[in-house]
Amino acid sequence: MNIIRLRRWWYAISLIIIVPGTISLFTHGLRLGIDFQGGQLLEVQGRVAQSEIQSKADQLKLKDLSVTPAGDNSLIRYRDEAAPKQQQSDHLALSSQLAASHHKEVRYETVGPSVSRDITRNAIVSVALAALAIVLYISFAFRNIPPPMTSWNFGVAAIIAMLHDALLLLGVFSLLGAFFKVEVDSLFVTAVLTVIGFSVHDTIVVFDRIRENLRRERGEFEAVVNRSILETLARSLNTSLTVLLTLLALYLFGGESIKLFILALLVGIASGTYSSIFNASPLLVSYYRYQQQRALNPKRAPA
Amino acid sequence: MSLRVKFWLILVLTVVTAVLAYPREDKILHAIGLKKASLHVQQGLDLQGGAHLVFQADLAKTAPADRSKAMDSLIDVIQKRANPSGTSEISVQRQGSDRVIVELPGVKDVNDAIDRIGRTAKLLFLEIPPSTSGTPQPIDTGIGGKDVDRADPDFDTQTSQPVVRLTIKSDARSKFGDLTTKIHNENGQLVTLLDNQVVFGPATVSQPITDGNAQLSGNFKSIGDARKIAQEITAGALPVPINLVEERTVGPTLGLESIQKSLVAGIIGLLVVAIFMVSYYRLAGLLAVAALLIYTLITLTLYKLSALTPYSIVLTLAGTAGFILSIGMAVDANILIFERMKEELRSGKSFVAAVEAGFDRAWTSIRDSNASTLITCFILYFFSGASPIIKGFAITLGLGVLVSLFTSVVISRTFLRLIIRTNLGRQPSAYGLRTNEATR
Repeated sequence: MNIIRLRRWWYAISLIIIVPGTISLFTHGLRLGIDFQGGQLLEVQGRVAQSEIQSKADQLKLKDLSVTPAGDNSLIRYRDEAAPKQQQSDHLALSSQLAASHHKEVRYETVGPSVSRDITRNAIVSVALAALAIVLYISFAFRNIPPPMTSWNFGVAAIIAMLHDALLLLGVFSLLGAFFKVEVDSLFVTAVLTVIGFSVHDTIVVFDRIRENLRRERGEFEAVVNRSILETLARSLNTSLTVLLTLLALYLFGGESIKLFILALLVGIASGTYSSIFNASPLLVSYYRYQQQRALNPKRAPA
Repeated sequence: MSLRVKFWLILVLTVVTAVLAYPREDKILHAIGLKKASLHVQQGLDLQGGAHLVFQADLAKTAPADRSKAMDSLIDVIQKRANPSGTSEISVQRQGSDRVIVELPGVKDVNDAIDRIGRTAKLLFLEIPPSTSGTPQPIDTGIGGKDVDRADPDFDTQTSQPVVRLTIKSDARSKFGDLTTKIHNENGQLVTLLDNQVVFGPATVSQPITDGNAQLSGNFKSIGDARKIAQEITAGALPVPINLVEERTVGPTLGLESIQKSLVAGIIGLLVVAIFMVSYYRLAGLLAVAALLIYTLITLTLYKLSALTPYSIVLTLAGTAGFILSIGMAVDANILIFERMKEELRSGKSFVAAVEAGFDRAWTSIRDSNASTLITCFILYFFSGASPIIKGFAITLGLGVLVSLFTSVVISRTFLRLIIRTNLGRQPSAYGLRTNEATR
């Protein structure tokens, strides 16, 4: 099997999957939950129709009311801009009306604007820090790379694979937000960070093998990379399979309130497996080819 | 350390952690003479039900130099209000420069708790001079809540009505004595307000109070009413106004449902991984599953033991996901080692050499790849703000990675070294290889 020779196909598959989500990300963005925007969230038992509570919400001057099902329960979101004391009594008024129609409240969350600003800032800071720390770590872990590659090449390829996974995950959730009103919360940020970590984790195992093989023999660079991918293929697939199987168990049988979190991990880890096999290492070869062509023919820009 | 000693140590570790991880470990510990030993995994509010409240102090009117002190006394007051008996597992913590997090596990009436915590509770003693002409104006006496040491509910010895007894602080006793003497002599009246509500008077003072023991007989409906007022006075006034800026309340039913579902998901996840490992790696897979079970026991034991230290691990719903995810990741190290071993066997190495080479060669991959997950966990834990959800996930995943490093590198390795001494362990099929793929 020659994975390297087919690399343009692998890149194309990645693009086909990533482009729609990315377009959605730039046009619709993500549907932000109360963690990032502030607002109120109520979980009640049973299915509630929005019409059941719309008039009450209007009367209480609650904005942006939306109702979505969550398992056997319903999630009710709104934004109450009254003073905190008033918000408390508005919530009571709404939940007692719901309780009267046998929708018992099981969860209530309210996030004020100052808190949501902090959560957003923390999310940005932690994603940026994690990315930075991982970049530093990769350049440290991949020092002493035998020629023709440098640790810098390995680092950039791992980071592109990582961005691939992050972008795919964000894109999928942007599409889910646009079509199914799926919102992102702090747990989603956690999922993004976990996926980033896993993506690099997976890529490192393949790169480690490439480094080892480069040290041991001086073959054709492409052949060494291809053999390294094949040698680690069983491990990559088996590890991802066990992680995906446990996640699938969590998705199917776990708690309702972490379902989207688990879905994010499923999407991200599947992507991480793909990118570590079909993107990260082939990119090393593409870059190697590019350098060689440039050395041979400095004037013509190679493809 | 010889292989035999290692094996016995692993066996001891397994038994000890199995006892400690067992849900009713107190019975077993009791049987072997360890009394009063009871451990539990500390559950987050999303699992046991309860309220997570964040209050923000309004420090605009407080001088910057006094803010830190104001926050300290604010936390003190909130602590007394939220947890008057000091016995329940309520936690009050400062977050950042101007916020206070209050965690109320199993609270029944959240709104009542919010009201109780958010009350200003300003106690005022006002003097009403004897009326000479027109309506008399109450005068602030300068004595207030800060001068009260404690307040207790009680019944009046004569009328049997509920009252609140006040103990005036010793340094304010003479001031209070002077005031009551003055009102008594001038035949004026005293009125006591709590948040602009009358809790005593207006009434004349029949006798000067010089011993610092006053009594508020303010028409309390019941002894419970008097107790509530007494608690408020004892806790003292809020030094600065506060606002509720975040609330996350989970009912006990949802929490219980989450626990049961996570448990089911965890068991199914573990089973599926076990089936996969055994069918793919055969005997080696079975060893990996044994290591995985020990891994689960060690992790659960660490959760329980951590509750005895100040750094207790709180298991949240996201935390259980982190734990279950770490099961999947824990086998990764085993898979890396087994795949490497198989390669070495295919290249014609002996079983002993293949085991050693498998571990040695796989180690750099295991170390480097887990480091990136640990970095992520570290950042999630320290830079996620105060969110208990994210912290819970980071800690369980991070701990899982560390424990799995131990179980795969130490425990699986010992098992493998032992197994290759047996006849069964020297069959290529024991590792999922075809007979012709390896030399014996």
